[in-house]
Amino acid sequence: MFKLFKTIIKVGTKTTIKYPFEPLDVCDDFRGKPEHDPEQCIACGACTQACPANALIMETDIENNLRRWEISFARCIYCGRCEEVCPTNAITLSQEFELAVTNKADLYEEANFTLAHCVECAEAYAPTKAVSYVHDLLVQSGLDRDDPYLSQLLNTCPSCCRRANMLDSRTLVHGQYFHDALANDSLACDVSADKVFQQERSNQGE
Amino acid sequence: MKGIKSLVGNDHTKTIPVIQDANFKKLKQTLLKEIKRSAYVYRVDCGGCNGCEIEIFAATTPVFDTERFGIKIVASPRHADILLFTGAVTRAMRMPALRAYEAAPDPKIVVSYGACGCDGGIFHDLYCVWGGTDKIVPVDVYIPGCPPTPAATIYGFAMALGLLDQKLKARSHNEAENEKATLKHTGIPLALKTIIEREARLLSGYRQGGILADEFMAVLAKSTQETVDANLKRFLSEKNDPRISEIIEILHHKALAFMRG
Ligand code: SF4
Ligand code: SF4
Ligand code: SF4
Repeated sequence: MFKLFKTIIKVGTKTTIKYPFEPLDVCDDFRGKPEHDPEQCIACGACTQACPANALIMETDIENNLRRWEISFARCIYCGRCEEVCPTNAITLSQEFELAVTNKADLYEEANFTLAHCVECAEAYAPTKAVSYVHDLLVQSGLDRDDPYLSQLLNTCPSCCRRANMLDSRTLVHGQYFHDALANDSLACDVSADKVFQQERSNQGE
Repeated sequence: MKGIKSLVGNDHTKTIPVIQDANFKKLKQTLLKEIKRSAYVYRVDCGGCNGCEIEIFAATTPVFDTERFGIKIVASPRHADILLFTGAVTRAMRMPALRAYEAAPDPKIVVSYGACGCDGGIFHDLYCVWGGTDKIVPVDVYIPGCPPTPAATIYGFAMALGLLDQKLKARSHNEAENEKATLKHTGIPLALKTIIEREARLLSGYRQGGILADEFMAVLAKSTQETVDANLKRFLSEKNDPRISEIIEILHHKALAFMRG
């Protein structure tokens, strides 16, 4: 009995953490509220793909030329995968843990971004900020900022790029490899087999 | 579905929360003001992973000690002032949860606990869950987290009892004219950056690796050839962690090898 009282007196009331009357020390690696910096965000959508709980969503509204990014702290499981994948460090997990709310609407944050339009077909194809970020990145890797070919390439949508490449005389080979192979006879048997097969098929059809 | 005529509508997959009495709000206010005794909490586990329960009990242990504020866990909803719903509300737990809600005397405070309780959490799109407490009963306080830490739990309880104020605010941002994301560490060649980032992630895992690579490059960027060793040394002694020292050393070697070509 005496021993027990001695222990109690020795321990005192230090065991109990004083929070909320004193601020709480959280450890360095504590994963709290994901802090989103919309200025730094390029609306690339990497985080929305990585989020295991679908707390991050992104939707594209072509009519209003907007891409909306939204986070729900209600659904977030504070795993940090969005921080891992973000190419611009726009989202980082803070130490903030006092997230309880009475009004559920306060658990949501959103950001709206504009879309860039293709110079050829005028269709929206990517967020404006993502395009300019890629431009900066390419410039940093050694390309010339004022290179007209570069900005033409970046401001064209993928399908127009493909079309342009197809008709570009430099990439057009007019079945060059096919004819070369035929000349070398390496393709000949394949082709003749194909012909026989097609003939059979047409015979069956009749 | 194509070709199959649906026999029933989809009402059975929707749920409407219990309707609250008009006087309820006023009653609740008086409860909060006049509560001159302990607040009793009854937990309803609606199909979570039990992580939340463990944190609730951690909050009642001597370390966090919610009983300082008179918050006590009770064994029956009939004794409860606060109902604590955890879990994503599975189909099977909907009725028991509603029964617990009805059994608690009015006015009662309903707290939705954890990511599952708030919005279904990682289980939100399963076929067998309703996806959150507020789909079946009106909720007063949401405590997000997966699970919320004991401190977050205490904060939520204090908010439910009207002792602390809400900190979080909804936010909406619209892209400003000519808004641009800035590139980091532009002084470092892109190829070297890639080497550092990749190696750091390889050595210390993805999130930590990203943070370490970032800090290492920040030190590199602000040093010259003469000061880089001293700066790195200072950085490492600040960190005082042998694991970080080893990783940074390896990164430094890689960077030097790159510079030499
Ligand atoms: S921390 Fe995890 S759950 Fe939360 S938003 Fe980021 S990826 Fe999603
Ligand atoms: S990954 Fe980063 S930059 Fe991309 S949308 Fe998410 S927060 Fe924005
Ligand atoms: S919120 Fe997380 S810890 Fe709590 S029950 Fe759901 S999955 Fe488990």
